[in-house]
Amino acid sequence: MRPVDPRVAAGIGLVFLAIACGGGAEAPSGGEISPTRTVVAATGFRFVDVASEAGIDRVVHAGRPGKDHLLDSAGTGAAWIDYDRDGWIDAYIVNGWKLEGSRVLERGKNALYRNRGDGTFEDVTDRAGVGGEGHWGGGVAVADYDGDGWPDILVTNFGPNVLYRNRGDGTFENVAPRIGVEVPGWNTGAAFLDADTDGDLDLYIAGYIDHSLEDVLKAERTLDWKGVERVAPGPFGLPGAVDHFFVATGDGVFVEATREAGLQDLGQGFGFTVRAADLDNDGDPDIYVANDSDANYFYRNEGDGTFRDVGLWSGLALDAGGAAQAGMGVAVGDADGDGTLDICVTNFSEDFSTLYRGDGQGFFDDISDSSGVGGATYRSLSWGTVLADLDNDGDQDLVVINGHIYPQVDAHPEFELAYAQPNLLLENTGSARFVDATDRAGPGFGQVRSSRGLAAGDYDNDGDLDLLITHLDEPPSLLRNDSARGSWLTVICEVPPGEGTAIGSRVTLFFGGRVAVRDLASSGAFLSAHDPRLHFGLGQTERVDRLEVRWPDGSRTTLENVAANGFLTVRKGS
Amino acid sequence: MKWRCWSGLGVAGLILVSSVPATPAAEMGTETPRQLVETYDSLADSILAAKKTEWNLVHTILATTYSHAEVAKREATAKLEAGQDAEAELENLATFVAQIGTEGDAAVAAIRKRLVEGGHHHHAGGEQQGIYDPGFVIVTRDAKKAFLDASKKIARMAKSPDPAALETEWAAVQRQFEALHDGAS
Repeated sequence: MRPVDPRVAAGIGLVFLAIACGGGAEAPSGGEISPTRTVVAATGFRFVDVASEAGIDRVVHAGRPGKDHLLDSAGTGAAWIDYDRDGWIDAYIVNGWKLEGSRVLERGKNALYRNRGDGTFEDVTDRAGVGGEGHWGGGVAVADYDGDGWPDILVTNFGPNVLYRNRGDGTFENVAPRIGVEVPGWNTGAAFLDADTDGDLDLYIAGYIDHSLEDVLKAERTLDWKGVERVAPGPFGLPGAVDHFFVATGDGVFVEATREAGLQDLGQGFGFTVRAADLDNDGDPDIYVANDSDANYFYRNEGDGTFRDVGLWSGLALDAGGAAQAGMGVAVGDADGDGTLDICVTNFSEDFSTLYRGDGQGFFDDISDSSGVGGATYRSLSWGTVLADLDNDGDQDLVVINGHIYPQVDAHPEFELAYAQPNLLLENTGSARFVDATDRAGPGFGQVRSSRGLAAGDYDNDGDLDLLITHLDEPPSLLRNDSARGSWLTVICEVPPGEGTAIGSRVTLFFGGRVAVRDLASSGAFLSAHDPRLHFGLGQTERVDRLEVRWPDGSRTTLENVAANGFLTVRKGS
Repeated sequence: MKWRCWSGLGVAGLILVSSVPATPAAEMGTETPRQLVETYDSLADSILAAKKTEWNLVHTILATTYSHAEVAKREATAKLEAGQDAEAELENLATFVAQIGTEGDAAVAAIRKRLVEGGHHHHAGGEQQGIYDPGFVIVTRDAKKAFLDASKKIARMAKSPDPAALETEWAAVQRQFEALHDGAS
């Protein structure tokens, strides 16, 4: 499929904007705005790993081969970021360290791969200055934290965090020490959000285990696993690291306000992925934290920048049976096509990933069993996950990224577990009923590795979502989406510099009697960040009846009669 | 009981051991030295007392939480009868009911986690049988789910008040709470 040049599409999108904002609801017929393309009517997934030929080839280190400490097996995140704003999303990969016993063999360098726009990438890490400062990396979140129009990169570390401010000239500077978000410790997931809706992005950072580097280097496998192996202990038995919340002061600095905001992490949960989203649909961003082995947190925004954990009675803290699971990754999307946000949380092996259906008012039901997600994911130890319309048929499919944390399980086939595991593609057959389509998803889904991070994005601008996946001790995979598919529309939400943030924007599409919703977030999946352009599959529909953008400040932009198959830039207040 | 108390007992035991006088082989009996047996017997009393103390403490947590729930219920009912918004009271009630199900809030959960991590399970057998969640002392899995389900229904009423449904749900919570004592141990 010939890629669509997004600069052309974006320019045309601005035409849309002028009309939409100047005249209100009436917009022109959209036929002239989109590059033409052939809609393929056939069905079927096909993903091909093109990472090596595309130039994404740096090994992601993960401690020792035996995974003696949980840090060795926690893995790292990946992000899509258009750092040079050329219309082609670039790839950022977080890296760990390579150890041998207690000796550090190599401090892995994070990687920024610039998208050349021809299907290949150029490693610009050193030129951009985003190698990670020698820290053992964990997660990544992407947002324009200072509102200057250029996306910045937060890297959470085992050690002080790094916030790479984008200078706009292809280079970055680490401002974390200066602005107060370093937080030494084992930091994992993070999310930017405008908690108090003042236009500035605030920041939540989760902590996992309160361990020192000495603890990691001296670690031994002491936990008895099923009576047959000694494996890395934890997280049970190890002290939890607390989460942190920082409020932007408006002058480029953050101050810690964890207690004041009601986000104390009372349970000292083993926090992994953090996802900000308006889960109760009241217009302000809430915070969801997947905790490993503890109840998950659902911090509801009370509307004034303070939060209340309503996880227990909202249905989002535990599974349907009232049990805490081992939360790893988080996907937020609309699994049942009702226009409200649902959540999938990935969990440990011999437990299921949990799909929670939202009612749009902040209440959720565990539908893992009836949806088919539970059965399909039970054997896997799961990490990154995304709800994404991978065949452009109008509903969101579910990807679940897998891999065990104990290499020792391979010595015991009687347990039917494996260290390297296939990733899963669960096809949405409508109304949140999922079937396992992994075996018919092409060679990319035939890979068997110990995978962790996941970022979905349309790197070749051809109208479908590709998948960037990190693995332990291997280079990442880039699964190019060659699936047969329907129409699509990708929406780029922009807020002019100095006028707030686009993070937290919600886009709702009405097309062919259906509704679809997406929200713009700085992070998700597992310690990762997706393409900030919001992709919608439209099935056989060639035109969107109505498109609504709800901006973080509550204002709205509405477009009608929008043509499919293009990139549409919607700018707030133009 | 704080772990440092146990540590103190351990130290006392060591002192005791070191104070047992060396005895000529011909005079040694085959029994475990009485002093050690008596110390262990005393320690057993402390261990069992600690377990009972744990039960009493969790019982108090539940009773306190329930009394808070009663207050929230009364306040919610009063506001509903007066035709006023009772959202805050109903959400508080939902929170208290949920925390009965979880034997306390997240801070208590962190302590329970520490106990489980240290190998202490109040109902080890009951956990293996699936009756109790790890570390739970009084609330069974079934009861936990019932309280959580009730809390969700009550919280939903915060947005859509239904006094009659609230009474029904609260009566169910009361019955469930009273039933906890039937299986008290």
